Amino acid sequence: MPIVAFDQVTVAVETDQSPGSKVLLDGIDLRLAEDRIGVIGANGSGKSTLLRLVNGLLQPTTGTVTVDGDSTVSAVRRVRRNVGFVFTDPLSQLVMPTGREDVELSLRRSVRNGHERREKAEAALQRLGLLPLADQSIYELSGGERQLMALAAVLAVNPSVLVLDEPSTLLDLRNRELLRRTLAGLEQQIIMSTHDLDLALDMDRVLVVEGGSVVFDGSPAAAVAAYRALCLAGPPAFPSPSSPGTVRQPGAS
Amino acid sequence: MRGHGFLLANYVPGNSLIHRTPLAVKFLLVFASGLASFLISDWRVSVAVLAGLCGLFLASGAGSRRLVRAFRPLAPVLLVIGAFQWWQLGGATAARIVLNILVCVLAASLLTATTPVQRLLDGVVKAAGPFTRLGADPERFALTIGIMLRSIPYIAGTFADVRDSARARGLDRNPRALVLPVFITSVAYARQTGEALAARGLGEAGDQEPDDD
Repeated sequence: MPIVAFDQVTVAVETDQSPGSKVLLDGIDLRLAEDRIGVIGANGSGKSTLLRLVNGLLQPTTGTVTVDGDSTVSAVRRVRRNVGFVFTDPLSQLVMPTGREDVELSLRRSVRNGHERREKAEAALQRLGLLPLADQSIYELSGGERQLMALAAVLAVNPSVLVLDEPSTLLDLRNRELLRRTLAGLEQQIIMSTHDLDLALDMDRVLVVEGGSVVFDGSPAAAVAAYRALCLAGPPAFPSPSSPGTVRQPGAS
Repeated sequence: MRGHGFLLANYVPGNSLIHRTPLAVKFLLVFASGLASFLISDWRVSVAVLAGLCGLFLASGAGSRRLVRAFRPLAPVLLVIGAFQWWQLGGATAARIVLNILVCVLAASLLTATTPVQRLLDGVVKAAGPFTRLGADPERFALTIGIMLRSIPYIAGTFADVRDSARARGLDRNPRALVLPVFITSVAYARQTGEALAARGLGEAGDQEPDDD
């Protein structure tokens, strides 16, 4: 599995409202090598910021993020080839009128021959069982079908890491289950933020993000319990020291 | 989000003569239709050209429903243009102008209904090839056309959504309640599209080059 490493990462942005900058992530030190990694936390806690760093969509203000040793700043093109990114809303992600065309668009950079590109796109769609929907307008697809289509477009170029930013937020229960089964069958390393705690429990390791810091890092069950406690009691409220996992104080690295 | 109401037809898979016609010929047909709209001065010739294009559209297997769908979004605009021209220049001129606009739209729809977008983009890349000498990237031309084809129905859908929400709040006669949200949503959409392309490594300067470092 690839190793995604955060070394003393801080992300800060300038704001008009207050003097100085607003810190979105503070002192993140992580080494992610597991197959399935979940990121949970409240809205605005810094989950999306954390994920965007992995693909180089966002660059750290201080510190470094590397994917298999490649810096997301100096080797961003190579990083993006290795790290696929799935957004919450597939309509923002699918930039072509049909799924087949969108998958082919993903392949344009790596496959110059049109015939070969069509064959590869067909194979990518077939893998997720989407071939019957390939030529339908993306507006005619259900939310789950669109999300799978966006996933197929990302997987077509065979990334080694798949980052998903709350992929199930806009889906109903049936489509959520469909996405869950599909993700379970993928060989890529998955790093996914989610509000779906059932989905988080499928992971190998779960991070709880709060106020721009990773406040808990450990097994899914313990992380979900920590997150529940955090939401119900308000910070700081963490599981007892006997729980598996590492409890981190906000801001601590 | 609604995304319909786009006047150009989506690709319809098929093996008709028009599907098999080389892309350059279809491009020429669209170009000739655009040119004809300036040159035709008799509305009866416009009717004949439009009828011919309708015949080609139906022969492609795209179907009469798509044909109607290609015209429907234009109907209100054409009615206004037709009425104004009738008042200003008379019935024959009004008919010629309206028919010539329909000829252009139908020719473009025939192209998009019988050509997969990727083949269209390949054609654009080929046509833009000579511009590489001037430092242009043909893939960017293609990407721009592809995104345009996708964005127009999105923005049309946004307009329909905003109009409905304004109507629900009793603000349907307030142009600001319509224009501002559509503008803001369109800017947000442009940003999201840019981000989605960046995440996939598309549209970056020199994205055909092998790697960084």
